[in-house]
Amino acid sequence: MIGWRSGYITAVICSIGLHLLVVAAFLIDWPSESKDIVVQPKFIQAELIQLKPKEKPKKKASNSKAKELAAKRREADRQKAAQKRLEQQRISEREAKRLEKLRQQEAIRQKREQRQRELEQERARKQAALDEKLRQEQAAEIAEQEKQSASSYIQIIQGRLSQSWSRPPSARLGMQTLIELKLVPTGRIVGVKILQSSGDVAFDRSVEQAAFKAAPFSELQSMEPRIFEQYFRSVKVLFNPEDLRL
Amino acid sequence: MSEENLSILSLILNASVLVQLVMLLLFIASVISWIMIVQRGIYLRNAENGFKHFEDTFWSGVDLNNLYHELSQEAQENGGNQGIENVFRAGFREFTRLTDGQSADPEAVMEGTDRAMRVALSREEEALSTHLPFLASVASVSPYIGLFGTVWGIMNSFRGLAMVQQATLATVAPGISEALIATAMGLFAAIPAVLAYNRYAAQVETMNASYETFAEEFSSILHRQVHSK
Repeated sequence: MIGWRSGYITAVICSIGLHLLVVAAFLIDWPSESKDIVVQPKFIQAELIQLKPKEKPKKKASNSKAKELAAKRREADRQKAAQKRLEQQRISEREAKRLEKLRQQEAIRQKREQRQRELEQERARKQAALDEKLRQEQAAEIAEQEKQSASSYIQIIQGRLSQSWSRPPSARLGMQTLIELKLVPTGRIVGVKILQSSGDVAFDRSVEQAAFKAAPFSELQSMEPRIFEQYFRSVKVLFNPEDLRL
Repeated sequence: MSEENLSILSLILNASVLVQLVMLLLFIASVISWIMIVQRGIYLRNAENGFKHFEDTFWSGVDLNNLYHELSQEAQENGGNQGIENVFRAGFREFTRLTDGQSADPEAVMEGTDRAMRVALSREEEALSTHLPFLASVASVSPYIGLFGTVWGIMNSFRGLAMVQQATLATVAPGISEALIATAMGLFAAIPAVLAYNRYAAQVETMNASYETFAEEFSSILHRQVHSK
């Protein structure tokens, strides 16, 4: 029994020691990783720089002679300066004239260019209009052709439908049934819907039966898919017994 | 450190009462399961070594009577043997008792001996696998308890979020963080328990098998003795 108990004691000591270690690891050695991150705005420091003219050392005339000499020199200087100024003025006037001329030439050239550009635009617009018209005409032509081919197919369908239509005895002149045929490109009928009934059930049914009997319109297989989509996806057919003499 | 908002300690201290309770429960479970782990480890190692030692002395050709008396003396000193010695002692005691009578029927003797050894065996098996169910239940339940604490904490922090006008991540993040500690603790308790349970269960299995083999062998020896008389 002593051996057993000592086993438990070591176990308890081990376990508690382990858990104390874990807790201590959490409490003590948890590095505070979150440093304060301060985002500093990037800026440029602007400084005002003053350009100071260098001060010229002033010479002081020490005596009167020197003063006179200085005065004369100054006079001469002044005259020279005046001449210079005049000359400069002349030069600048000439320069100004030249500049003016240049500017005028520039303006003329610009005007010419603008006119040319406008002309070009005009021409382009006219061309575009012409193209558009041409395209429309062509489209119309194509549409006309398509319509013609479509109408030939429509005639085929009409012929087949009227062939396979057996009118019921109750059919009377003036009865009309409008049906809508849903076709697929193979020429098969996938749906018949009566849009406008004649009022006579037998007549309507005969029309439906005629549609299913006439199908498939295998001629439609040779048709361009575009034309099919445009005209034959759903076809409306009006049945009226014109040939009856009643 | 404690001033910092997100240290583990402050997170635990600021958690809601239920979450704190869950954490405490998990901590206690972890402590106890580690006690069991260490104790079982020591016990099983001792049992294994004892079995090897006993088998060596048993097969070394020692007189069984002497061995029995030695072991009985040891048992009296230590307050009870453990492991395979118990099986041996129980079997041998029963055998000598039954063969003392003059008119001993060999079949009856063997039957009694076997029964005594079976009882001792099952007692030893029990002793080997004590605490293992506890480890198993800690392993399977503590993740759920931790998850419960986490869910509760997150629930509360989202409820708090609903009341705030301007919801930012910073309003929920501490709550979720503190809630997740509960799951971490649950896993911390569960993972060692799972490992220990699997390892110890396998060990107990092999120990049981070797005990049974020894019992069979011992019984065959006794059988020979009974029938050679």
